[in-house]
Amino acid sequence: MGEVDKTPRIDTAQIEQVLAECREQRWPLIPILQAVQQRFGYIPPEAIHLIAAESGLFPSQVQGVISFYTQLYTRPRGRRVVRVCRGTACHVRGGKTILKLVKQALGVEEGETTPDYEFTLETVACIGVCALAPNIVIGRDTYGQMNPKKVAQLLGERRRE
Amino acid sequence: MQHRTVFVCQGTGCVSGKADAIYEALQREVARQGLSHAAVDFSGCHGFCQQGPNVVVEPDGIFYTHVDVDDAPEIVTSHLRDGKPVERLFYRDPVTGEAVPHYATVGFYQKQQRVILRNCGHINPENVDHYLEVGGYRALRKVLSEMTPEQVIEEIKRSGLRGRGGAGFPTGRKWEFCRAAPGSQKYVICNADEGDPGAFMDRSILEADPHAVIEGLAIAAYAVGASEGYVYVRAEYPLAVKRLRVALGQAHERGFLGNNVVGSGFSFHVHVKEGAGAFVCGEETALIASIESRRGMPRPRPPFPAQSGLDGKPTVINNVKTLSSLPVIIDRGADWFSGLGTEKSKGTAVFALTGKIANSGLVEVPMGTSLETIIYGIGGGIPGDKRLKAVQTGGPSGGCIPARFLDLPVDYESLAAIGCIMGSGGMVVMDEGTCMVEIARYFLSFTQDESCGKCVPCRLGTRQMLEILTRITQGKGRDKDIDTLLGIATAVKESSLCGLGQTCPNPVLSTINYFRDEYEAHVKEKRCPAAVCDALMISPCQHTCPVGINIPKYVAHIATGEHLEAITTVRERNPFAAICGRICHHPCERRCRRGELDEPVAIRSLKRFAADWYADHAAELPDPVPFPKTRSQKAAVVGAGPTGLSCAYFLAHLGYPVTVYEALPVAGGMLSVALPEFRLPRSVIQSDVDYIVKRGVEIRYNTPITTNYTVDDLKREGYQAVFIAAGAQRSQRVGIPGEVEDVDGLYYGLRFLRDVRVGRPVRVGRRVAVIGGGNVALDSARTALRIGAEGVDIYYRRSREEMPVTEVEYDESVAEGVRMNFLVSPTRIVSADWKVTGLQCTRMALGEMDASGRRRPMPVPGSEFFVPADTIIAAVGQAPDLSFLPPDSALERTRWETLVVNSNTLATNVPGVFAGGDFVTGPGMVIDAVAAGRRAALAIDKYLRGDISRVEMYDLKAGAAPQPPAREAEGEEAEDVWKAQPRVEMPVLPPQERKGSFQEIELGFAEERAREEARRCLRCDLET
Repeated sequence: MGEVDKTPRIDTAQIEQVLAECREQRWPLIPILQAVQQRFGYIPPEAIHLIAAESGLFPSQVQGVISFYTQLYTRPRGRRVVRVCRGTACHVRGGKTILKLVKQALGVEEGETTPDYEFTLETVACIGVCALAPNIVIGRDTYGQMNPKKVAQLLGERRRE
Repeated sequence: MQHRTVFVCQGTGCVSGKADAIYEALQREVARQGLSHAAVDFSGCHGFCQQGPNVVVEPDGIFYTHVDVDDAPEIVTSHLRDGKPVERLFYRDPVTGEAVPHYATVGFYQKQQRVILRNCGHINPENVDHYLEVGGYRALRKVLSEMTPEQVIEEIKRSGLRGRGGAGFPTGRKWEFCRAAPGSQKYVICNADEGDPGAFMDRSILEADPHAVIEGLAIAAYAVGASEGYVYVRAEYPLAVKRLRVALGQAHERGFLGNNVVGSGFSFHVHVKEGAGAFVCGEETALIASIESRRGMPRPRPPFPAQSGLDGKPTVINNVKTLSSLPVIIDRGADWFSGLGTEKSKGTAVFALTGKIANSGLVEVPMGTSLETIIYGIGGGIPGDKRLKAVQTGGPSGGCIPARFLDLPVDYESLAAIGCIMGSGGMVVMDEGTCMVEIARYFLSFTQDESCGKCVPCRLGTRQMLEILTRITQGKGRDKDIDTLLGIATAVKESSLCGLGQTCPNPVLSTINYFRDEYEAHVKEKRCPAAVCDALMISPCQHTCPVGINIPKYVAHIATGEHLEAITTVRERNPFAAICGRICHHPCERRCRRGELDEPVAIRSLKRFAADWYADHAAELPDPVPFPKTRSQKAAVVGAGPTGLSCAYFLAHLGYPVTVYEALPVAGGMLSVALPEFRLPRSVIQSDVDYIVKRGVEIRYNTPITTNYTVDDLKREGYQAVFIAAGAQRSQRVGIPGEVEDVDGLYYGLRFLRDVRVGRPVRVGRRVAVIGGGNVALDSARTALRIGAEGVDIYYRRSREEMPVTEVEYDESVAEGVRMNFLVSPTRIVSADWKVTGLQCTRMALGEMDASGRRRPMPVPGSEFFVPADTIIAAVGQAPDLSFLPPDSALERTRWETLVVNSNTLATNVPGVFAGGDFVTGPGMVIDAVAAGRRAALAIDKYLRGDISRVEMYDLKAGAAPQPPAREAEGEEAEDVWKAQPRVEMPVLPPQERKGSFQEIELGFAEERAREEARRCLRCDLET
């Protein structure tokens, strides 16, 4: 990484609030991380020591849990996450090509975010909509039976929005 | 007026097709029209997402598919108001094309037996009253009021229910261990971390029938003595999580959860834990770690969770499907449930049927149902006239079942016996366009990614296997790779800590076991038989062509009008352009990507166009000159058929002086003597042969190689290499009583065709019977019609599907009036006074699969019948004739009277002598003959240079292909690219004009039409 990531300043009061909300739960660490992420879109590094202190863990242990799960992130992500399904059904129906086209359309590789923080491109193991393969998910919306034309339409359209 | 409710499916699949907007539109429309006898509601997933968005109208049971928002007014007006269902939205059977109005009669559902999915699609999942109406929570009330926990466990044990998560452990016994474990605090967990790619039944159930899962969980809790439960659900399923939470709230409200459930004194609380994206958390010990907010890594067992699970307390973990089976087992009794399925696998199984299948979706059938019923009966078969290759079950932990096991009854035991697992129930259908090595690589890339890294075999083994598989798919495979893979796979399987590692080698092991030849093609020949692996090819058509013609290039030349360049491109790899342009079986077209959109490009016909154009313009074009002779060593070729002449042509191309020895006065081999004029005119063969001769190949006609003038003599005459391509011209006998050679009216196909072709007087009777189903049989039948037969019947012991002929040949034969009799096997040739009078036959039925994946025809007892015939033509196959080799020849022979050759170099055991084509393999396709000739030429070149390396034939991108014309403007034009445009039709001679005429049937493309067809090419070769 050439440049230190510029992440926005974090309002620690919000983190405290999340911690308070989860205090009732048993085994709260993952729910806390999920709630923090829900609020900020990622888990700000500043939050880690606060969460560790709350949970009675070393920060490294919290970091260990975060790094284990693919859906916990420590860097800000795009406003919309584009997930290309690489499940088996999608794979045999051309999911690989769809991924290639989405990469071309967004100009980023897997796991990367566009410079304008509009899109983050991810792959997902399977979203369980195999009957409509190949699929992509944008934000919360699933789009089935993708083909090159639909990719162009969808991401072209989305770009303009 | 009848009250109707319209249910809009609101599963994830249908919502992606805007089912939520359809729901709102229907509501608006009903309100606008003020209909009092209609209600709009929604349901969960029907499991037939491919047809979605789906809408069902009850109580009529009318099933609408592919509904759009704009259809809402019509549904409301026509159906809800006027009682007239909207026909155009009915489901259409993919095989018959017929409209099927009723949900219950749709083929996809008809053959299913839905137990676990009983309520899916029929109730509103967010309305607990709907669940209660269909008998929901009755089982929970029953166990709480009438049964002791021990009785519940006993009932489940008696039912034979086994864990539906994949491993199939008996559920009752698991509960028993947990109940017996000491401790007052126990837990039950619902495993809804459905991570297997290609499986989506748990999602469907949670979205469509969440109360059934909750009720099952409560029953399990009561049985084992737990007061707290968890549902661990994948965060990738937001809708399932939402519905589950809604249902939990309602169950709590109605007293089915919480303290003192339905007044029984039993208390049970349920919490939801959302996963955070780790496949390994489907493993029970890892799942527990994840609930406890730790890294989700498995630990060694024992102790099993039933003894020490969540928080170290006894814990039962059951899959979603196991839990949702429980209420119905309690309700209908263990005996009912154990009456379904097989001896050891009771009940039903749910499969997510996906991939290359006509009807994809959720399928529930009794255990032990055959794969064939699932794939063809319910799934509707493979779309687009493709052949089934394999079925993958159990996702990344499972294996690939080759097509020949189609009869297999699907249950835990029979799958395990062939190296597969039931797993979570993913069933992905793969056709001939799926590369098995690539599939293994795909699964490994998944498991390698998901391996948690705790144990060494899994962490390192998956990485190594992935590396090797990737290398193989990139054409960098090494000779020992396959064995190394087997070694690593076995080690990982045996020594990994948890189920992920123990099962992840299955895809590798099963594909190597059943598709080793595909691995070998990748490693040794750098070829991907399915034309999938990008790194090995430029375009699928070129890769599939046995001689590797640069198809996109010549098609592009035709499109731009550069026809000389087109024919030159073809001839770089195939000197028989005019011939192959007419009779090639064009495997390239089967792989053409345009075929995925509408129809494949008519590659064969374009080749013919280029060849014909050359023939028409030959006078204006410079005469072809001999290839320069740069080598001093001489080579001889035995036989001037397509194999021999191809070899000679490519040897000449490489600079060698070549002489071809031909027994007959004509060249072309089988093409000249066996193919009827109407399929391949003499002049066409001559034009290709002339071209080859002009490029410097010498043909000595009427010069047979015999026991007196032998291969050894050729070597003595100074030929340093000899290639034997003597073809397969000996007709095989049928092998039935009455088959006496000199009986009048009995012919063998080859002899018959040859006699007609060379103009000998051949007479056929009025009624002709042809035995066999291959090219020679069809050609004989069509020839017989042309020389005066009134009726011609073909008797073939297999069915149409097994006939080794092209679609066009078959269709044309039928159009000309040839009658096909399938599944009929002649048993005796009947004659009187040395004259054929008819054929005694028996009917056949298709039995079990043989090793080639074809069903073996078996005689039907008592089905014998007699057909009168004046002429019988036997065409049941040809074989090579080795009688020209002297008895003391040193050439090694096989048991089947063919020569032993090295499959890569075609070298015999005698140095300098090579053999190939039909002579070695038996009768094959003409393009394979050309390929064998080319291979021989390359091998002989290497031999003469003293190079002992393997022959490698790569796809080459020789010369620049013309770029496609630039698209004028964005927008409109871009749309055009994808507009379906079927292939240009080949003009043919009308069938009524064919009788008595040997004129060629296909007439060829005119230039404008050819260019139009050529422009349909998608230019896969330009893809980067």
